Amino acid sequence: MWAKPWNMKEGFLIGGGLLFVGLMLQVAIGPIRWELFAWPVNLIVLVLLLAAIVVAFTLRGKVYAFEWMMHAGAAVPCLVYAASLTMLMGLLPQVRTGGLPWLSRMLQFWPFVLIWTWMMIISALASMNHLLRWKVCEIPFLLNHLGVVVAIVAATLGSADTQTLQLTAFTGEPEWRALADNDELVEPGLAIELHKFILEEYDDGTPKRFASDITVYTEDGKTVPGTVEVNKPLKMNGWKIYQYGYDVRYGSESPYSVFQLVRDPWILWVYIGIFMMIAGALCLMLFMAPKPVKS
Amino acid sequence: MSWDSFFWFALTAVLLWAAGAFFAWKGKKVWVYVCTLAGIAVFLAFILGMWITLERPPLRTMGETRLWYSFFLPVAGIIVYSRWRYKWILSFSTLLSLVFICVNLFKPGIHSKSLMPALQSPWFAPHVIVYMFSYALLGAATIMAVYMLIRKRASASEINLTDNLVYVGLAFLTFGMLFGALWAKEAWGTYWAWDPKETWAAATWLCYLVYLHLRKAKSGEWQTACVILLVSFVCLQICWWGINYLPSAQGLSIHTYNVK
Repeated sequence: MWAKPWNMKEGFLIGGGLLFVGLMLQVAIGPIRWELFAWPVNLIVLVLLLAAIVVAFTLRGKVYAFEWMMHAGAAVPCLVYAASLTMLMGLLPQVRTGGLPWLSRMLQFWPFVLIWTWMMIISALASMNHLLRWKVCEIPFLLNHLGVVVAIVAATLGSADTQTLQLTAFTGEPEWRALADNDELVEPGLAIELHKFILEEYDDGTPKRFASDITVYTEDGKTVPGTVEVNKPLKMNGWKIYQYGYDVRYGSESPYSVFQLVRDPWILWVYIGIFMMIAGALCLMLFMAPKPVKS
Repeated sequence: MSWDSFFWFALTAVLLWAAGAFFAWKGKKVWVYVCTLAGIAVFLAFILGMWITLERPPLRTMGETRLWYSFFLPVAGIIVYSRWRYKWILSFSTLLSLVFICVNLFKPGIHSKSLMPALQSPWFAPHVIVYMFSYALLGAATIMAVYMLIRKRASASEINLTDNLVYVGLAFLTFGMLFGALWAKEAWGTYWAWDPKETWAAATWLCYLVYLHLRKAKSGEWQTACVILLVSFVCLQICWWGINYLPSAQGLSIHTYNVK
């Protein structure tokens, strides 16, 4: 072991080391508080992460570990750890409070986050390696690996900047205030006036359509009439407005409609990553699959 | 069209597929294609008929997704046959398809016409159809893995076929997952919420990535790779229907539509 060239054994040990460090961190400073990553902390973390990757890449000739991290042999153990922890997460109920210590809040569990971070670093390093060799045939590899990194890093670091509010609008009364996650009343800078909540049903009584006929007013003086329904949100001043709920006691006669307002400044990067991954999967199928050998 | 006429369509399709499989053993290529494609057309006609009658794509209940699975298995079978000319592949795909048809005949899903508002989206059909096609390919890869493990030997072309099934299957798995994310953003305002179904989708995806990278690293034995395929397929089954029975998903998952 540790004799060059390294392979998967070394990777499993490093992963084990990361799990251990993660557990120590969990004991020492408690679960990860993602809200601390709000702007501009997430930007700083991103810059540091990118700098670390560039430095590691530059030193790949001197430090063997960095060279090794770019190969598939390093990816295997990392993926095994990530898959196992994700399966564990799928087996144990994930709840905000109660449940098991640590494992019922896997997203705040240091070992889980460290393994995923390691996966992103490996993937980014391998991407750099292929990027600098710049050739057309490197595009499929780059779309897949860089796509995952862009999507997951933007989603993770951006999560603290995502605002999700609940706005309850009564018929005929423009509502400017909305409820944040922490039950605080905030002003999103727009108001919603409900004209009519719409509930259509199938013959068997199951719901067919939930919608709200509304007018949105903004602080900068815009007045926009529209309809919000499930699967058809409305976009307004950086917010997306979703149909969220209604008074179930009154059904189609509900005097109010509940909307969810979501603002996610990092969403563009997540989409870029997702579309890179879709293009990458297309390449995986068309160009990356091994050529058929006939029996 | 309704489930009442399913038996006759399924019977015709299975007989045609069986004939195709028979001609594959006999080496009569033209008849293989004629019979298999005719069977696929008959089965597709039933699916489209259901689509029109229900006024929505038949993708909501487990019974309806099994319908697509039974359809895609022979499709995957004929694709593999045209590239590798395996005599046995169509017999396998027909048999497996028959199993799912029988499940549907003896235990049909909910026969309701209604589609809840959350599922009314242009993403709904591509999300599920792409997943079902991927499941069919990865199912075929699993059969290859079992076949090689039982015989305790693997030829280069068998490993090559398995790799190809996984590459294409994984590509479709990725499409399914990402279409789901794009849809979720429109429906719920968040593209990934670590809902139990999403968590298992991620675990499944990672498992197949283990296989892919292990094969790329060229350091593992083929037996190890085959075992990883089996583990991956178990994850896939948990993701598809197993989570309905997992304590972690009870009352928490937005994806457990079929359990009332």
